[in-house]
Amino acid sequence: MNHSKAASIFNKDEKKVDWHDKALWFVRHKRDKAVHAVEGWESLRNYGHGIKAHTLSNLDNYLIQFEENALKNGVQVHWAADGDEHNKIVHSILKAHNAKKVVKSKSMLTEECHLNPFLEADGIEVIDTDLGERIVQLAKEPPSHIVLPAIHKTKEEVDELFQEHLGTKPSGGDPQYLTGEARKHLRKKFISADAAITGVNFAIADTGGFVVCTNEGNADMGAHLAPVHIACMGIEKLIPKQEHLGVFLRLLARSATGQPITTYSSHFKKPINGNKMHIVIVDNGRTEQLSRPDFRASLHCIRCGACMNTCPIYRRSGGHSYDATIPGPIGSILSPGKDLTKHSSLPFASTLCGSCSDVCPVKIDIHSQLYKWRQIITKETPQPFVKKASMKMMGKVFAKPMQFERVGKVARWSLRNLPKGVINSKPNVWGKERDLPSGPTESFDDWYKKRTENEQ
Amino acid sequence: MKVGLFIPCYINQLYPQVGIATLELLEKLNVNVTYPSGQTCCGQPMANSGYESESVGACNNFVDNFKDFDYVVTPSGSCAYHVKKHYDIIPQTEDVTNVRNNVYELCDFIVNILKIKNVNAKFPYKIGVHKSCHGLRGLRLGSCSELVGPSFSSIEDLLNEVEGAELTSLARKDECCGFGGTFAVTEEAISVKMGKDKIKDHLDSGAEVITATDTSCLMHLEGLINRNKQPLKVLHIAEILNSSI
Amino acid sequence: MSSREHILSRAKANKPDLLELPNLDLNVFTDGRDLIKEFKTKIEVVGGNVVDVVTKENVISQVSSLFPNTKVNFSTLEGTQDFNTVSLEALNKPHELEDLDIMILESNIGVAENGALWLSDNQIPIRVLPFITKHLVLVLNKENIVPFMHQAYQKLSSNATDFGVFISGPSKTADIEQSLVIGAQGALSLTVFIY
Repeated sequence: MNHSKAASIFNKDEKKVDWHDKALWFVRHKRDKAVHAVEGWESLRNYGHGIKAHTLSNLDNYLIQFEENALKNGVQVHWAADGDEHNKIVHSILKAHNAKKVVKSKSMLTEECHLNPFLEADGIEVIDTDLGERIVQLAKEPPSHIVLPAIHKTKEEVDELFQEHLGTKPSGGDPQYLTGEARKHLRKKFISADAAITGVNFAIADTGGFVVCTNEGNADMGAHLAPVHIACMGIEKLIPKQEHLGVFLRLLARSATGQPITTYSSHFKKPINGNKMHIVIVDNGRTEQLSRPDFRASLHCIRCGACMNTCPIYRRSGGHSYDATIPGPIGSILSPGKDLTKHSSLPFASTLCGSCSDVCPVKIDIHSQLYKWRQIITKETPQPFVKKASMKMMGKVFAKPMQFERVGKVARWSLRNLPKGVINSKPNVWGKERDLPSGPTESFDDWYKKRTENEQ
Repeated sequence: MKVGLFIPCYINQLYPQVGIATLELLEKLNVNVTYPSGQTCCGQPMANSGYESESVGACNNFVDNFKDFDYVVTPSGSCAYHVKKHYDIIPQTEDVTNVRNNVYELCDFIVNILKIKNVNAKFPYKIGVHKSCHGLRGLRLGSCSELVGPSFSSIEDLLNEVEGAELTSLARKDECCGFGGTFAVTEEAISVKMGKDKIKDHLDSGAEVITATDTSCLMHLEGLINRNKQPLKVLHIAEILNSSI
Repeated sequence: MSSREHILSRAKANKPDLLELPNLDLNVFTDGRDLIKEFKTKIEVVGGNVVDVVTKENVISQVSSLFPNTKVNFSTLEGTQDFNTVSLEALNKPHELEDLDIMILESNIGVAENGALWLSDNQIPIRVLPFITKHLVLVLNKENIVPFMHQAYQKLSSNATDFGVFISGPSKTADIEQSLVIGAQGALSLTVFIY
């Protein structure tokens, strides 16, 4: 289903749209308050952009350096060309340790690779331990937002889910009670886990270490208790030096939720004595995106979700309408690089208002990239005949002033003289809920000509 | 200073009064302004729909019409932005780069080139300003809520000097109205919802008139206001600045 | 070709020409705020509590009055054997710390802009402790407060650690309808003693 269709279904319940829009606007508002209090915020964004751009321009060397240092730290490093290889690597590590119960903290990469179903098919229990992720996991849904995975769920829906799966009492959706029950439920899982999987927010070439950010403490509860820690990262997570974390940790949480920093910013380097630590480095289309000069800056993304919170279309269509692992504006420039035909409607799910680019902490020119994907999509994927033909016709009309004048006259006459029922009939999508302009008798051209004649 | 007036295609055909107000206003301000007769469209409707290649004829026609002027002024932030940002698809001759550098949205031209803020207009109403995105985030006609920096707005600078005018303030001061060119049709449900929300914000703020630098946004909002019979008028900013009621 | 070679060769072939790494001018961030005041404000903003003490020696008595009925306590402060109810040496698995009520640790860096405190393997005897405990108490000398994360990393550059964490407030979540709930999977409360 394309975005527009899914969005129109979402919009059948206007109250829910308003609720969703307000919830996300609230987060955007908190972000504004936080960043406007930071002296030099725009410099910080420039630095974030510059460090990422530099890293990508030297990516192969930084990857080699990172691997070298990680190995020195006693960490095992694996390389996966695609999602399937990633899943097989993780599976084989778990098998080697005879791990049956796995706790996982938030990782959009493992979502992208569809790791959970792969492991579950072999009887391995995978528990998502971020509360929002656990909610959508219980609901058998994908996350609808990269930072707020269950933002589309009402508290009443969560209440029912927990009653069904965790045996909680009906609470009318009391967040305090439900979070407390989830804590008890997840504690048991942490204590009994055979292995922990985490994502990676930043990987430091210079030290071989990596940083994982959470508010709940779930990554740490998993990684420090289980004998095996597997960290999965895309190749674009690298930064050159530890000191660069100073820039990114200042940008990340403020942009994401308006917090000055996440509760926990955990710096992993060496495994606990006797335990094992593995890093899986994944490409899965990223080197291809790197090859596209117009789109490679999309790899700067630090997954804060600010572009989703600010996007007036995302807020009113919900994350699931994008039918992609990463929804919203950033997803709409990443996904076409993976499957142009499947995701061909996403770059059009935007008014090109540019709010995403201005809110982005690493200054990705998101709206410009949306525009550029549109140009590619119309050339490389099948387009409706009517759209193509009308664009060709418009192109011709606007290239020649005489034709423009003739067409304009006809259009104005129609607007004035045709009955409303005809004008707003089915093919006119505009007129479903909006009136058309009334169609003046004379155009500006006509008026100007008359005025000039009168003056003479 | 020779100024060429560009009247966007839809203003020419559907909202001639906006073109007239623009021309009269510039003449009042003693600008030596000419309206070249061979103009059509900046090419944006095709380009934003992904058919940039079909807009080459329109781009060339635009440059042909305006290459001999010191400035090109237009009552549309969106068209000016399109020429500046996307005319890289035709060869960058001297004429093309001149036109791209010298194209200005009307308010931008008055405030930043003519250095005028008071245009001696009278308009005794409560005005809600809709900050059209391409003018705001494309041309930077004002500060936007996302960026950290000093607050400014060329549009508000002009309106604040209009006798009797009172500017209302919105809860979401620079959210998109949902027009977005063909988006208005291809993503009809969201486009309409965005427009309705925008109008509600203006009504809640006590505005009697919504104004903007772009008639395209206003056409979308007006379409909704008229259909739903809401107590709001819609006027292009040129109409207010040219007003002496 | 192995996936490693494949990825590295593609990264090499597809990357743009080398772009310069920006030099950070930290002066652009100077905001003239009072470090201690800002640090305390931010700890409260992120849901933590602040207690001023004259010296480190005052911490235990204050903790005992703030948390009167705790059963399982552990502190790494010097001379606090009487307070401790568990000996870490006796523990085979950290999992047995599940009932830990109070954990007192010393931090050597506090960051004013976000109320974060740094802990590393040098200060944490078992990594899971600051997360698994119900209540976390951190002790910091006010001399060790820096303005921004940049200065924190400058201080960290000289001591290599195997694991370290910045902690800013108690564990929290807003995953149910954006309602902030303190106490998710980690510590339910954070109290910072500043001397």
